[in-house]
Amino acid sequence: MSNQVSASVRDRALGRARYAADLVPSGAAVADVVRSPHPHARVVAVDSTEALQTPGVLGVLTPDDFAGVTIGRLIADEPPLASTARYVGDGVAAVAAVDHKSLLAGIAALRIEYEILAHATTTEQARTLSVDIHNTAPGNIASSFSCEQGDWDAAIGRVVEWAEGTFENAPVPHAYLEPRATVVRVADDHLELVTATHFPTALEEDYREIVRPWGTDLRIITPEMGGSFGAKWEHPTHLVCLAFAHRLGRDVVMVTPRRDDMIAGRGRLGMKLSVAIGADADGRLVAKRSRVESDNGAYSGHGSSVTVSAAIRADNIYRYEAVRASADLVYTNTMPSECFRGFGHPQAVFAQEQLIDELASKLGLSPAEIRRRNAVAAGDVTIHGWQIGSSGLQECIDEIETRIEAHRAAQTGAAQTGTAKSNSRFRTGYGLATCIHSISSRAYDPRFDRDDVKLTPRPDGTITINSGEVEIGCGANETLRTIVAEELGVAREILQVVFGDTEHGPYGLGNFASRTTLFAGRAAIDACRQLRRRCAEVAASLGLAETSVAEVIGAAALTDRLNELVVTGRFEPDNVVLPESSAYGNLSPAYNFAAHGCCVRVDTWTGKVVVQQYWAAHDPGHLFNPPGAHGQVIGAVTQGLGMALTEALELDPDGMVLNPGFLDDRVPTFPDAVPIEVIFIDIDDPAGPWGAKTIGEPPLIPVPACVANAIHDAVGVRLRQTPMTSERTWQALATRETMP
Amino acid sequence: MNTPSAQFEIVVNGVAHHVSSGWHSRRLLDLLRSELGLVGTKEGCSEGDCGACTVLLDGEPVVSCLTLCAMVGSRTVTTVEGLNSDHLERFAAGCERTGGVQCGFCTPGFAVMSSWLVDGGTETGDDSDAKLLEGNICRCTGYQQLAEVISSLRTISEDPTGAAP
Ligand code: FES
Ligand code: FES
Repeated sequence: MSNQVSASVRDRALGRARYAADLVPSGAAVADVVRSPHPHARVVAVDSTEALQTPGVLGVLTPDDFAGVTIGRLIADEPPLASTARYVGDGVAAVAAVDHKSLLAGIAALRIEYEILAHATTTEQARTLSVDIHNTAPGNIASSFSCEQGDWDAAIGRVVEWAEGTFENAPVPHAYLEPRATVVRVADDHLELVTATHFPTALEEDYREIVRPWGTDLRIITPEMGGSFGAKWEHPTHLVCLAFAHRLGRDVVMVTPRRDDMIAGRGRLGMKLSVAIGADADGRLVAKRSRVESDNGAYSGHGSSVTVSAAIRADNIYRYEAVRASADLVYTNTMPSECFRGFGHPQAVFAQEQLIDELASKLGLSPAEIRRRNAVAAGDVTIHGWQIGSSGLQECIDEIETRIEAHRAAQTGAAQTGTAKSNSRFRTGYGLATCIHSISSRAYDPRFDRDDVKLTPRPDGTITINSGEVEIGCGANETLRTIVAEELGVAREILQVVFGDTEHGPYGLGNFASRTTLFAGRAAIDACRQLRRRCAEVAASLGLAETSVAEVIGAAALTDRLNELVVTGRFEPDNVVLPESSAYGNLSPAYNFAAHGCCVRVDTWTGKVVVQQYWAAHDPGHLFNPPGAHGQVIGAVTQGLGMALTEALELDPDGMVLNPGFLDDRVPTFPDAVPIEVIFIDIDDPAGPWGAKTIGEPPLIPVPACVANAIHDAVGVRLRQTPMTSERTWQALATRETMP
Repeated sequence: MNTPSAQFEIVVNGVAHHVSSGWHSRRLLDLLRSELGLVGTKEGCSEGDCGACTVLLDGEPVVSCLTLCAMVGSRTVTTVEGLNSDHLERFAAGCERTGGVQCGFCTPGFAVMSSWLVDGGTETGDDSDAKLLEGNICRCTGYQQLAEVISSLRTISEDPTGAAP
């Protein structure tokens, strides 16, 4: 490996990477949102007289300034400023000022009169609430889904054992380290929105509709993104900043303070799943029934799609013969939810993988064996119509089983020599869990799922790679450079990647579902092939024989023909379809698989669970950046352990977030890090660039299930609720009947 | 007590800056970022939880979001921009080798802490690196890689030839 450090890593390590808050133009106005202290209240009046007289205050925006405007790609239900506050923290007005001191004075001088409405902080309350949180959603149901696949009656006729249960997952904040930050720069005939987002192209499409009537246009520039994990998409603060910049004719910046960010940011959807799985006498999983109730919070984000994913995605990993699923997404007066690494799947896997362990024990099979017997394989079409192009699932399960057995044998050996940690107080146990992941989702944009990459050779011999995708810290930048360098036979050093600049960038659907490697990678390969063809043409017409791409670019620059070498490559997979309303259909060109294992030690006196060793086996296909991929797995597992053991957004009955801070939410810190071994199964996918699939999301998905299975193995209790805190584990132990 | 002068001096990365006395009652983090343009120091939480704003005061780490400029006194401030460049290059190489950088927002804080630890920061107590890094949150990487980077940097600094392992 070369000791040349890639520019993107070096910039970050040296503190040279620039995030939105680092790009504040001098003289920019500072703005902030005024948030509702009530979970549900109509804004009767906003009196800004005094605020506007406060020295240094430049302007005030109220809900009236955005009448009729809502955002939300799937369900457009969120106003930039709310005339009815729907959660504690909902923005009901905004102030801009010359500096922070005046800003705070201006906010304090604003008089807002509310009419308090009845509120619901749980989905149960919302279902019987006397008022609707949105008048478009009677009964507070934001969306509903149901489907049935296979012959249900035939399947259940063969079931000899059922396992069933109800599982709950608390909402968890994304807790990205960079708080939400937006800068708007005023240019001659347009506004420049500088902000981190997963989908600059979509942002531009949607916001342009809103700013055009103001008589201006828009350009989106995405700086570095300081973490998101699915939180940073469209956001009301963008529109507030755009409106201030337009009205004041002045650059504007808004950085959301951390506490506000954790009250009014976004979080993983809290979910309740009731699931039953039936197996036949041979240990085949034949039937599965799921019922999902998702807590949407006050606004929808991607909640409707996440909820469908929670209802069906997990079904695709095993060869079920029949499934029935239904799901409701329910509005509550709590922080809006959003997709979060795994897209509803960690919640579903938490239920499924625990029930499968129960079935295994009823049928006398090992956890590995029951999964092996039922795993889908390359060439399968799953119960929901997913076409599996490659799968390393069997290998992943084998790798984890081997490690668990070796570890167990070593522990038992230690027990015999009297040095083991397992005794009457401390119990050790092992868990196994699997997952499937769909790379991209055709359902995301009804028009298409595609990606474009543009190559622009420059007079100085360098090549700019433009992608409509974004770098979210997973290394997409280096992946594209690697592909283009290799496909064109040029040095990496001459390649520069520009992501997410809507003035120069081609189309990109957005960085989600861990799809960038596959989609942008394939588009880059297409672009390279086009460029090679163009180079050959230009070389022939200039009478050059057998020249390299770099030489042709040099010759074209001298003869003023560089524009002939500008190409845009495209990837639009032909085997994916827009799923039916039942969600049936191949929605992704490729799928990846994982199996995880862990060893936990449970303190039966306190309920404390310590993960002593963790193993994560994945089949990401070709790896463009092995250390980066390795780091993705470690990071995702650690995030998953936060969800499994400590993290939850806690609310009081009036919808106030009680723990809006990194340490109050209890994100994992350095001493919480556990030993994690990463295993990559080397199986290429026919759809991937050089066989690559992806890695970003999957390594979080099985974690809570894996830990729950290990706790059961250790002490014989089933934890059906995350986070599995010491208190919950202790309570489960206190009420259990027998120790295994 | 001295009468407040219109300006005071603060030494950052070896350079003396004269700033208006109004800064006395403001955060060091704001002085660094908005007055001196040293935006490598990040603001993640503003309340001492995350460590993204870590700088060295006379060689000891502090969170600059909870440090008033008046508290700096005659001590010198070192930000990520002022760390030893050989150290920074080795830190960057370590991050590349281990996958220790993702979004990078926490990374300048870890760069500062790594420099302190490698310069003997642990010798004052019995605490492990993990304990000493408890105040630096990384939501992306999961820490294992950063622990590896720091221990390999320590090996390099103890090796008089300075050769990388
Ligand atoms: S910003 Fe100072 S500790 Fe987080
Ligand atoms: S790399 Fe993103 S927070 Fe550490």
